[in-house]
Amino acid sequence: MAVTIDGKTYQIGISQYEPIVGKSTIDELRLLASKLSGKVIQNVNSTFTGGGVAEILSRMVPLLQQLGVDARWNIIRGNDAFYQVTKKFHNALHGRKEEITAADFSLFREVSEKNMAVLDQQGDIFFIHDPQPVMLINRKKEQGKKWAWRCHIDISQPDPAVWQFLEPFVVQYDAAVFSAPAFSRELPIRQFLISPSIDPLSDKNRELPQETIDSVLAKYNVPQDKPIITQVSRFDYLKDPVGVIKAFEMVRKSVDCRLVLAGGTATDDPESDKVLAEVREKAGKNPDIHVLLIPPDSNIEINAFQRASTVVLQKSLREGFGLTVAEALWKAKPVVASAVGGITLQIQNKFTGLTSHGIEGTAFALKQLLSNPDYARWLGENGREHVRYNFLITRHIRDYLLLFLAMEHPGDIITL
Amino acid sequence: MAQWLVENWPIIAVPMLVFFAVLIIGLWLRRAASGYFDRWVARARWEGSSVVNQTLRRTSVYWFILLGAAIAVQVSSLPPQAKSLAGRLLGSLFVVSFGWVLITLSEWLLGYYLPKLKASQLAIRTTINVTRIIILILGILILLDTWGVPTAPLLLLIVVVALAAALVFRDTAPNLFAGFQLNTTQQIKVGDYIKVETGEEGYITEMSWANVRLKGLDQSSILVPNSRLLRSTFVNYGHPLKVAKEPFRFYSRTHLKELTGLKARNLQEMVSILKTAPDAVIYYHTHNFLEEHYYLTPEPSNDFAVWVSDALGDDALGEQLASIDTFSFSNLSSLRDRLVGIIEEHLARGCTSRDALEGREFHFVRSVSIVLPTHFVASDLREFTEALRKVSLSSLYFHIFESRLRLGRGLNDFSVWLRDSLEELDLADDIARVDPYTYTLGGLKTWLLQLMEKRIK
Repeated sequence: MAVTIDGKTYQIGISQYEPIVGKSTIDELRLLASKLSGKVIQNVNSTFTGGGVAEILSRMVPLLQQLGVDARWNIIRGNDAFYQVTKKFHNALHGRKEEITAADFSLFREVSEKNMAVLDQQGDIFFIHDPQPVMLINRKKEQGKKWAWRCHIDISQPDPAVWQFLEPFVVQYDAAVFSAPAFSRELPIRQFLISPSIDPLSDKNRELPQETIDSVLAKYNVPQDKPIITQVSRFDYLKDPVGVIKAFEMVRKSVDCRLVLAGGTATDDPESDKVLAEVREKAGKNPDIHVLLIPPDSNIEINAFQRASTVVLQKSLREGFGLTVAEALWKAKPVVASAVGGITLQIQNKFTGLTSHGIEGTAFALKQLLSNPDYARWLGENGREHVRYNFLITRHIRDYLLLFLAMEHPGDIITL
Repeated sequence: MAQWLVENWPIIAVPMLVFFAVLIIGLWLRRAASGYFDRWVARARWEGSSVVNQTLRRTSVYWFILLGAAIAVQVSSLPPQAKSLAGRLLGSLFVVSFGWVLITLSEWLLGYYLPKLKASQLAIRTTINVTRIIILILGILILLDTWGVPTAPLLLLIVVVALAAALVFRDTAPNLFAGFQLNTTQQIKVGDYIKVETGEEGYITEMSWANVRLKGLDQSSILVPNSRLLRSTFVNYGHPLKVAKEPFRFYSRTHLKELTGLKARNLQEMVSILKTAPDAVIYYHTHNFLEEHYYLTPEPSNDFAVWVSDALGDDALGEQLASIDTFSFSNLSSLRDRLVGIIEEHLARGCTSRDALEGREFHFVRSVSIVLPTHFVASDLREFTEALRKVSLSSLYFHIFESRLRLGRGLNDFSVWLRDSLEELDLADDIARVDPYTYTLGGLKTWLLQLMEKRIK
């Protein structure tokens, strides 16, 4: 089956994951999928391209189909004004202050009702992704069947007005799915925890030849003459890039090393350029600090920077799930990361990486790893194994299959 | 006439003497060979001896008569043309009788051995007829050659037919020959457990002229072509072991995490929720680390201990909670009581509990288990060992951890089966006594396999 990943179209089959996760894992997926024989799983979101949800579905749906599940994917339609409103909803649910008017809510209702009328909704289990199509649940009364709402975003501190608007729709679902325990809300419906995942065969995570790594680092003028500490994230206060430089400067006093801060700026975040300017100012003319503004979709470049790193850092002040941590762990890199958000699910402190809470703690952890390569290697290898069984796309598929089965079979222990 | 005989008696007497001498020597040799053959048959208990005896007893006399006559003619004073004619005549008679013997013996041999290889009646008839035709053609060719008739066109025709036949039977013939070889060398026999390098394994249930049929660990029927088996490296483990009263089916288990919406910021909240939380929550937080980090050095931590140490900074209580011996509990409610007891004692001693930072609260999660039967079924210890080698770690986890504690069986499934169905009491006890929480799942599997292999030897 042809799959488009990172802008390229190539064949990916479920069996290609077998050397990575083992035959028994793929057999288990096939077995689970066989229990959903005859069921139609209808995924609905707002777009076929662009954004994390579309990216996940573009990989998951073909793989589910290869496993024999009748998985389908449909989208709702809306005009620019509708998507501006949903963008505001998205930001507000993340806790950012947005001006949302009554007209915005009306427009959301109006477009959603139009979609309810025209959308082909054939399915036994409806899997609705994110807030944009949330109102489709109004069809449940006439349609019946099972409905699950998949929330891909962190709604732990939402704008109350937006949440109060959405909640009456959410509670009509049979189940809600969140990416981390902290993202969930107190709801009268069943809530499941399904973490996001990375695809080991994507450009961002696949094995790279050393020549590619070397050429990327040469392109960005990053010499590989000393240990490299890397943080990959957009230039955002919440990623604390200035704190990263401070921690690096503390480390630099005793360990000769480089720092790479690679990321982009968000077009919808006016603070982004300001943060970048501050970071550049803080870095000054220190030749060992490389502040790199990389274009969106620089997946090979990110992969190369992570693979060339001695230690990968993720010093976020607040984090959604933080899949950059899983990406680094998959490359068997020792990781130092803040104990926030979904990072605590990925890093078991001192087993699969090191967690920290402040600049000094981060600097101390970095020094520990740079000075103890064997310990760093052990952590990296543990991290890779942790990702192999908990944060790869195969686990994600398994959890979705289990979710569909759990919706059909109540109880804590389901024997199939 | 009498005068002629008196004058020329040597012309007749010498060939006659030669004829009888050859016949007598031949009969003596026949007797000696027969005695040797009888003794060999008595030792080997070969069923074909009577057929060989019946076929060769009378025919061998004819052959010595023909041989004696042929030599007598050659020593006689007959003209060369007459000698040549007589030689051809006698040679032809020998070819005919020898061909008849070959056909008789081959029919018997094929009729006797092919059914043993489970060849079909059609295959048996075809093979016998093909053999007959080959012998007849060879005989005719020799006779034609003896009488000076050109045989080249006929030979060409035969080669073409032979090539066509080889093409048609290119797949079957190697299996047939390999079947003969496997059968005669006794490398394997029905009832043996074999493991082929190409992955097939199981007990041999049937050996046919084309395939060896195995009973797979998933109860499937596996056909391995004889020729492939002979070309491959395979291990023959020998005869079946004691068959269990009930076969053991391996199950696999996977789980989904269900959020309860409950969260604790401090020890008071934690203990309050713990008292009423469903068993599925207790199970999740005491086994989550094991499931998600089974590749690590064994670390029997529970989530409560990790949170108390990391989020509340109370290392002493964290250590106390981490040192709870989960293996010593046979049900979840007593494990819950122990957790609650330790925290309450800690609070009762006046130890204050701080609140976790925002975002570091303890979220209570419920484990939803989905249990699935695998294809692997074992009827004896050998099949059990080989299946155990193949099943996933999830399966091992289910039978060792989940069935004992969560399903309340009090004992792991392996020990129950070994004890009740195989009466392997020592083995069952060895597995029951070991604390699986001190192993990684991979390490536990290796230990179990070593234990099984030692028992089978």
